[in-house]
Amino acid sequence: MPSVVLEVRNLSKRFGGLTAVSGLDFDVREGEILGVIGPNGAGKSTTFNIIAGAYPASGGDVRFAGESILGLPPHKIAARGVMRTFQHNRPFAGMSVADNVLVGAHTRFGFNVFGKKSLLDEKANRARAEELMEFVGLGELRQADVATLSFGQGRLLEIARGLAGEPRLMLFDEPAAGLTPAELTRVSGVIRGIAERGIAVLLIEHDMHFLLPLAHRVVVLNFGAKIADGLPEEVRSNPAVTDAYLGSHAAAR
Amino acid sequence: MRWLAAFVALSGAAFLMGDYHNDVYRKMLLWITLALSYNFLFGICGQVAFSHFAFYGIGAYSVVILLFQLHVPLPVAIVLGVAVCVLVALAVAIPATRLEGFYLALATLALAQLFVVVLNEGGAVTGGTGGIANYRLPAVFGFQVKGAWYTGVIVALLLGTYALLRRLDHSWFGRACRAVRDNPEAAAAMGVDVARTKVVAFALTSALAGMAGMVYAFVDNTVNPPIFGLENAFLLLFMVIVGGAGRHAGAVIGAALLFLLPFFLSPLVGHHHVLVFGVLVVAAILLKPKGLIGFYDAIRRS
Repeated sequence: MPSVVLEVRNLSKRFGGLTAVSGLDFDVREGEILGVIGPNGAGKSTTFNIIAGAYPASGGDVRFAGESILGLPPHKIAARGVMRTFQHNRPFAGMSVADNVLVGAHTRFGFNVFGKKSLLDEKANRARAEELMEFVGLGELRQADVATLSFGQGRLLEIARGLAGEPRLMLFDEPAAGLTPAELTRVSGVIRGIAERGIAVLLIEHDMHFLLPLAHRVVVLNFGAKIADGLPEEVRSNPAVTDAYLGSHAAAR
Repeated sequence: MRWLAAFVALSGAAFLMGDYHNDVYRKMLLWITLALSYNFLFGICGQVAFSHFAFYGIGAYSVVILLFQLHVPLPVAIVLGVAVCVLVALAVAIPATRLEGFYLALATLALAQLFVVVLNEGGAVTGGTGGIANYRLPAVFGFQVKGAWYTGVIVALLLGTYALLRRLDHSWFGRACRAVRDNPEAAAAMGVDVARTKVVAFALTSALAGMAGMVYAFVDNTVNPPIFGLENAFLLLFMVIVGGAGRHAGAVIGAALLFLLPFFLSPLVGHHHVLVFGVLVVAAILLKPKGLIGFYDAIRRS
């Protein structure tokens, strides 16, 4: 069995009197696509932001490759090998597509910016950026201004930029949001390809039609707690899940 | 090789000029040097700081005080002068970048104002309102570098500054600076230490301004407070905006244009050339946010 990359243990987050996440446990393994779903306000985004280092937790632990990353600032979490995408694309607007991807490789460079070693670094990372742009399907647009990209291309850029950091874990914040059906198919294919490279993938998503065929395993949250954890088909037929999504009345019928 | 050719051409030009034109020429070169480093700070790293010209003054005064009040040898004075600039820059930038947004602008504005007050009230150390004058660059290996030869020093400073900034700009550091400017949250998610990147860029460009100031100190062989006031701090900002923020060529064009413009405008409008600058800057911001260099790009593309 592939080794566990991310362990979330008894994670809790309170905002004042509101408990957004309580006692959450799950694992993500190498090459696995884990989807975290739940209705609005279930605590998906909060969980995501705690793992990525944007929020502190109120309790519990997040362990990456056996070490706690809870409380580290986002740039240190990235340097460990956890890269992310944003739900609302956040490109570096004043730079070319290729340079955007190279920023993702920031932690892959040696410190020195002078001399032969730095030129070799630059060359190697550029070659890898090219390969990643081809992989996500932006190969033709490498010198384009990011302002000219469509929203879907912007999402692909987010993915290539994250991969440039050579992550062991890739976090996707609602990757389906705002995409056309053709773009959804493309993004699904890219995410499968990422998992095939042995990278652990954690997706938070509320579009079940996108997520269920893609994820290897699904964790369902409701009111900050885990209500189901299993294969997509098990989750789909779990009464607690339909209940959470559609209300108990629909589940009873 | 190209660098050597540029050095020979730019310094050689000084020998073809009279004293007056050489003076104008070397001051233009100094403005271009300052605009290049300010462009890295403001245009590439996105930090709105008003202290760049003050660091030019800190460098100038430091080297003069160290050499002629404290009688330190020239190489030591240069190293200590740069160290002073870096320390002051860190003292301003570390607390300011911990805060959000425009606090750096406020802190650096305060520094620029404070610097002029210190110069005026500095008594014998700074020479007060009259500044310090009547000193000469110490001989280097027995040579007294002066006249058109000193222009060579300025050209070396300009080319060295440009080479360094260009190298940085094309490295992970330059990309990190641009990323911090464009989207700090995304930059952090890509592993960029946002606060450290800002502080390093600020200290580095401030030290470059200080070095330019040291070279300036021996252009007129006098340093005095009025030059280092806020007026020139804003002129530097205007140069970068009009030329095209974020582009080295933009900084060069903007600095040369705004420095030379008053020489042509003064016979026509007297001291009202500042008004023309104001109109130029507003026009650049409203019509051509990418500056003259953006305008040039658009023409070349079409």
